[in-house]
Amino acid sequence: MKIVAPIASVEEAEALVRAGAREFYCGFVPDEWIGRFRAVNANRRPSGNLRDHAELRRAVDVAHRHGGSISLVLNAQSYTDEQIAATITLADTFLQIGGDSLIVSDLGLVGELFQHVPLSRIHVSSVATCRNSSAARLCKELGASRMILPRDVTVGEACEIAAEVPGIEIEAFILNDGCVFEEGACATLHLPQNLGGPICLDNHPPHYRRRSGGKLDGPALDRLRDNDEEYRKWLWYRFSCGFTTNAAGMPFGPCGLCALPILLRGGIAAVKIAGREAPTARKLASVRMVKAVLDRAEAGEDDEHIMQFAQALRPSEQHCRTGYMCYYPEVLGH
Amino acid sequence: MVNPMSLAKVGNPSTRHAYWQAALGDTELASWLANFTPTHLYVGSEFCEHLLPGLRAWEKAIAHAQAVHCRVCLLTPIASPQLIRDLGELLPSLPDGSEVIVNDWGAAHFVRERFPALHLIAGRLLCRMMKDPRLGQASQAVTFRFDPRPLRAMFARLSIRRMEIDVPLSTDAGTFSTLPLPTGVHVPFACVAKGRMCRIGSSSIRGSERFAVGRKCRKECLKVSAQLERPGFRDTREVYQVGNSIISKHSATMLDAVRSAVEQGFISRIVVPGEAI
Repeated sequence: MKIVAPIASVEEAEALVRAGAREFYCGFVPDEWIGRFRAVNANRRPSGNLRDHAELRRAVDVAHRHGGSISLVLNAQSYTDEQIAATITLADTFLQIGGDSLIVSDLGLVGELFQHVPLSRIHVSSVATCRNSSAARLCKELGASRMILPRDVTVGEACEIAAEVPGIEIEAFILNDGCVFEEGACATLHLPQNLGGPICLDNHPPHYRRRSGGKLDGPALDRLRDNDEEYRKWLWYRFSCGFTTNAAGMPFGPCGLCALPILLRGGIAAVKIAGREAPTARKLASVRMVKAVLDRAEAGEDDEHIMQFAQALRPSEQHCRTGYMCYYPEVLGH
Repeated sequence: MVNPMSLAKVGNPSTRHAYWQAALGDTELASWLANFTPTHLYVGSEFCEHLLPGLRAWEKAIAHAQAVHCRVCLLTPIASPQLIRDLGELLPSLPDGSEVIVNDWGAAHFVRERFPALHLIAGRLLCRMMKDPRLGQASQAVTFRFDPRPLRAMFARLSIRRMEIDVPLSTDAGTFSTLPLPTGVHVPFACVAKGRMCRIGSSSIRGSERFAVGRKCRKECLKVSAQLERPGFRDTREVYQVGNSIISKHSATMLDAVRSAVEQGFISRIVVPGEAI
């Protein structure tokens, strides 16, 4: 199983290699793109991108020198016709300098890219929201070599898809950065904080009402308000426990480490550490955490001991018990 | 989420205005919609795997649709593996030529492979565009212009015959005139964001799997919704949470653009929620 880690600079790639990562992904938004389209939506991230060809080339070199690989993220939710032409140029540049694969979210773009780049070098992004075997078959037919599941799957679903569709690698989220809504079905911007920030964190007090008309009675409203209070706790976990870390820099927040043994047995080919825009220290700690747990799973240690080890890493047992920090809370009951 | 019983009320022209007024709470829009005779009954959900109708509900829907001289269409959401299996149970009961609105490429692939006699429509979740209601209509939207042309290859590959969209933030005369397929437009609400996790659907769940995905649901969303307002902001668009989704009401300018495009023949179907949200 591969650990897929984000990089935002060549220096990060060097550091993450030393921590044990061998597969990287990065964004690349050159100034020409921003100037032409007045937007940074080549890959949904305003920062955390490589910005010039020399830097991109050096990142590719670092990955390859250590026997690893590197993917370029092209995961805007959608592209216009003009942006597709520019994106194909980005993709072509990346592959020409030795980049390994393209992470593509828009199936329209996939259809176009196949006319220009080798078929086997497409990874379908989690933003494509492909989370069933039929979608995996379609991606395979299109020639993609990997399908990255969105966050919103169960561990059972992930393993079922991997088992039912051999011949395409399945990648699943393992650490950091949750979304409230399905990424591929969220048509909003992460606005600056003074304008509201991400819509899922924006302050939208709900005014509940009966759809058939009329007001809700006291007990019904109380139940919904209790639920809202619990939801706000869940939201804190979903947003990386307020983006906190332990003293060693290990991040709290969305995590699937306890599910690693099941994902490994289930034929999941790769696990993804999210957070391209995160500080280097967070990425480093994340790679070390995933590698430590994966080493034990690959050595055949039993699931219960691995779970104890994973939860003691930060440690995070108290957070883990809530289930709200889990990508795959169902494994807590196993 | 349409109650098929409710459609019968719209079949009578004299009651259409009152019906749409009650469902949408918008007098001007109700007056406009009263000009049109309903032609299709949409059953199911674009947004939630728990709202796929069972066989019995589906058969009832077909009967009601026939009674009011409408064709019945199946709405389907982003699909879990279980939802694909459920579709495998349900789709054999659809007559050839029935329309299935898909919001998942895998579901589209499944229908095309297994039920090629059904007609596929690309739902509004597949036809992506920027819809953040907090954005001003002109400024930011310029950089997120809606352009469905890149989807042409996928539409052709999957034999998709029609598409459905929300109203783009930045809408002008050209918005609807260059669409690659016959198009239905949803009014008056756009889907802004949709989760698989459901806040209100978690209200009856306790323990570590509360707010987790793929859990059982009591369908609270069919009875209760919420209006969302941001204190301290002068937002002009109405925003609601219905089940796992945030939806927003189109602005008057956006609705004017739709009306104009209908008059010019660029929009061949208007899709309207049949019940109050």
